[in-house]
Amino acid sequence: MKTFLKILLVLSLAVSADAKEVKLLNVSYDPTRELYTEYNAAFAKYWKAKTGDDVTVSQSHGGSGKQAQSVIAGLEADVVTLALSYDIDAISQQAKILPANWQTRLPNNSTPYTSTIVFLVRKGNPKGIKDWDDLVKKDVTVVVPNPKTSGGARWAYLAAYAYALETYGHDDAKAKDFITKLYKNVPILDSGARGSTITFAQRGIGDVLLAWENEAHLALKEFGDDKFEIVTPPLSILAEPPVAVVDKNAKRHGTTEVATAYLNYLYSDEGQKIAAKNFYRPRNEAIAAKYAANFPQLKLVTVDQEFGGWTKAQQTHFADGGVFDQIYQP
Amino acid sequence: MKLNRLILGTIIGAQFAFSAFAADDATTNSTEAGEIEDLKQEVQKLERKVLDLENQHQAAQQATANSDSGQIQDLDQKVRILERQREIDQDAAATTAKTQPKIVLGANGFGFSSADSNFVATIHGLVQLDSRSFSTDGKILGNDGFILRRARPILSGTVFHDFDYQFTPDFGGSTVQIQDAYLNYHYDSELQLEAGKFKSPVGLEQLQSDPATSFNERSLATDLVPNRDLGVELHGDLFSGALSYAAGIFDGSPDYNGTTTNADYDNNTAFEGRIFAQPWKNSSLAALQGLGFGLGGSYEVDRAATNTLTGLTPGYTTDGQQKFFTYGSGVFANGTHWRISPQAYYYYGPLSLLGEYVVSDQSVTKGAVTADLQNTAWEISAGWVLTGEAASYAGITPLHPFDLRKNQWGAWQVVGRYSDLDVDKNAFPTFASLSTSASAAHEWAAGINWYLNKNVRVNASFSHTQFVDGKTGLVTAQPENVLFTRLQLAF
Repeated sequence: MKTFLKILLVLSLAVSADAKEVKLLNVSYDPTRELYTEYNAAFAKYWKAKTGDDVTVSQSHGGSGKQAQSVIAGLEADVVTLALSYDIDAISQQAKILPANWQTRLPNNSTPYTSTIVFLVRKGNPKGIKDWDDLVKKDVTVVVPNPKTSGGARWAYLAAYAYALETYGHDDAKAKDFITKLYKNVPILDSGARGSTITFAQRGIGDVLLAWENEAHLALKEFGDDKFEIVTPPLSILAEPPVAVVDKNAKRHGTTEVATAYLNYLYSDEGQKIAAKNFYRPRNEAIAAKYAANFPQLKLVTVDQEFGGWTKAQQTHFADGGVFDQIYQP
Repeated sequence: MKLNRLILGTIIGAQFAFSAFAADDATTNSTEAGEIEDLKQEVQKLERKVLDLENQHQAAQQATANSDSGQIQDLDQKVRILERQREIDQDAAATTAKTQPKIVLGANGFGFSSADSNFVATIHGLVQLDSRSFSTDGKILGNDGFILRRARPILSGTVFHDFDYQFTPDFGGSTVQIQDAYLNYHYDSELQLEAGKFKSPVGLEQLQSDPATSFNERSLATDLVPNRDLGVELHGDLFSGALSYAAGIFDGSPDYNGTTTNADYDNNTAFEGRIFAQPWKNSSLAALQGLGFGLGGSYEVDRAATNTLTGLTPGYTTDGQQKFFTYGSGVFANGTHWRISPQAYYYYGPLSLLGEYVVSDQSVTKGAVTADLQNTAWEISAGWVLTGEAASYAGITPLHPFDLRKNQWGAWQVVGRYSDLDVDKNAFPTFASLSTSASAAHEWAAGINWYLNKNVRVNASFSHTQFVDGKTGLVTAQPENVLFTRLQLAF
């Protein structure tokens, strides 16, 4: 028996001396597929050079809210890269697998890149859509995902609401009336941003898609700029998609170190360049300047300024019985 | 439109005709010129009216066309929206279905599973109704007839993804027993930790599942290996199943003990283990994929003198489950007991071969006399599936399950076996008596198995066992000849 144990020990030491194969699961939201496909390859190369270990990152994508619920239900994400902090807060509070202060652990509130909501319209902009008030015209059909399940949809909803607040002197009743009219022009709600892109671009539904800025650019790349064009409204919202290590999962998988490095690398020059190339606004100012042509200047309001933070915004607008439930009738 | 042009043409024609008549009267030229001018203006007015009418008509047509186009576009959008909504609803339904618990009822049992398969509960069953007919048995009473050999409801499953369990009571025979009651931590197929009551990892034939054995009863070689025992075992399959290992500590079990207990009889612990290789299992060499060989063994120190239980086998039995050897009274285990069992099988298409050799070496004491007795046994069995199905250690699944309406007859297999058990000569006469026990048994058997489907099987076999040093008045007085039948339901 002792000999057997010795052999086992020697074998395990021999195995541990070799390069490790590490697997990570990144649970993300809908439009980040292309970003993380490119980023994962770059990180694997970086990590191999640094440690000699092979790292394979699997990706899971869907509506941000749905993805958060999946992690809460047991999907063993090593890291989450979701559309908004509220969804990671929900994981922290309900599943208790990462601490409540997760957002303080990385720079910029754990948001390595930002984005905003723009309009994707059909080529020639036949309905002449320039600003948010064009979306409430009776002959305009708007495509946007369901804010109950999609982070991007919540950003879009709040961007429209913020426009109304700014336009009507922060008269909440008028803003509510505006958002009601807007969602009367929404005939269909997909569960995630990618689904809405399919609805608009592939199924030919609607006059305008309220899209993540990067998703709109990807649609141009994929379907051709002879079919669509991007309209950047004068005012929109500063979308801050955060990232976090899921501590307990990573610890159980023995991946805490590599998961942390994976997220830190998003702040590196290479990580920031990859984000910018994929039409996410980088935090690094030098790199942002280099890619400035991709990102038109516009007034960006924040959730904190207009809505008192995500927790309050969620409760007021998106919780069961909230404003969205009151104004939207399928 | 045509009517308007006709009117205009008529007026112009009339104008020319009127001009022709008027030419004859020169005095009226100036008057006529004025009238002509008037007529021209009238014509121009009429032309403008016609043009206006034409424009109005075209505008009306365009408006109608625009209206139609708009309606078509609206309808097109509505259809697209409905189709897309249907897609979204289908996706949502598929997503919802993934979160719903599943119920499975099939040849592998009746089960419930959570949507993510982290929680599973399955009910299996095994019922074996046997008949044994002894001939030339010296008219021993009570050994012919039907017997409910096994009647086991089996509850197995998984909790929290990694923890497997099984509970198997057995209502067959004359004693209700718990056959299996264990929890298995399943980290992955390579590393598992099992604790509870389950089969000891030594004998190849013993480890084969009860519904899959070739004959009603296991061979004489299995008499020398431990049966189910209580303990903790580390086990797994390495290299995609090419190498299996199991090693554990157990209470320790006497040589094959048909009636197992749920407690230890001494303070000692047995170490048992087995390693089994199928080197070509995952290769492209079809002829060698089913070749497996290995080594099982056990080691313990029995000190049964402090207990009324002897720590020794309750007896070696024949195919007909008649005891042909028992230790004498006052004999108990007193020292080391080790076993070793080289073993192998080979499955290739319809062919099956299985063999093992077992040495059971045990220190025994009677009074002041102690001896180290080494009993040995071996067996080889072979089978051929007449209907062409692939044979395997796990059993046979008919390609064409029995169905009279479809003229399908299931799978048929012929099987044969030879086995032998030799008791250490030094057991006699101190530790066993030739007046009550035989010193060796040699057995051959042949049979046919009919697999009606994956769940129902019918066996018939004949077994012949000869004894060395058999005595008049005992089952060993003459060879044992038994005709077995079995009706088996396993799911």
